[in-house]
Amino acid sequence: MSRSTKKGPFVDERLYRKVEAQSELSRKTPIKTWSRACTIVPEFIGHTFQVHNGRTFLDVFCTEDMVGHKLGEFAATRVFRGHTNKKEGIAAPA
Amino acid sequence: MARIAGIDIPEKKKIIFALQYVHGIGPKAAADILRRTGIDPDRRSNSLDDQELSAIASDINEHVLVEGALRRKVSQDIARLKDVRSYRGERHRKGLPVRGQRTRTNARTRKGKKKTVAGKKPVKA
Repeated sequence: MSRSTKKGPFVDERLYRKVEAQSELSRKTPIKTWSRACTIVPEFIGHTFQVHNGRTFLDVFCTEDMVGHKLGEFAATRVFRGHTNKKEGIAAPA
Repeated sequence: MARIAGIDIPEKKKIIFALQYVHGIGPKAAADILRRTGIDPDRRSNSLDDQELSAIASDINEHVLVEGALRRKVSQDIARLKDVRSYRGERHRKGLPVRGQRTRTNARTRKGKKKTVAGKKPVKA
């Protein structure tokens, strides 16, 4: 079920304000954020975010193609290192 | 012999069903096309004259993405997802379900034929 168009996209207000403040100063330092659910809007293009994945912050550089996606889509929360090898009992390298 | 959108030759069937042989035209699109062109959906496709066929063809051109163009768009959309390294793109790359389905069991459409792992316990003992 997708989100009602009436509401518009979800954009984290505080994050948006930070981006605007940076744009005014034409400065682009990475912004740390936990707001994985925040939609990437055109104003975010060219900015870098450090998106929390539950453990660390991953750098996400926003390009034009990413508009409409959410920040969390670009910061994986799971690490898959391959299935365990029964004989050796250790995880196979990825 | 009716020829619509390139290669498709549906005949003898009602036009609303014949149109659905085209990749990209389903029940909805077929009904829409006939409504816009003002052709009775219950007519058989071999009963349509050239003028009506060309009306359908131009309507498809204008409103519906079909066949090659549609296939191209779909693969471009997937390529874009892969390109921006989004989660959905990664799922496409790995050949796993993209929309959050479970993968512990099932998911055979995406994963292909079962590859048995020696010594793995069945899911339900």
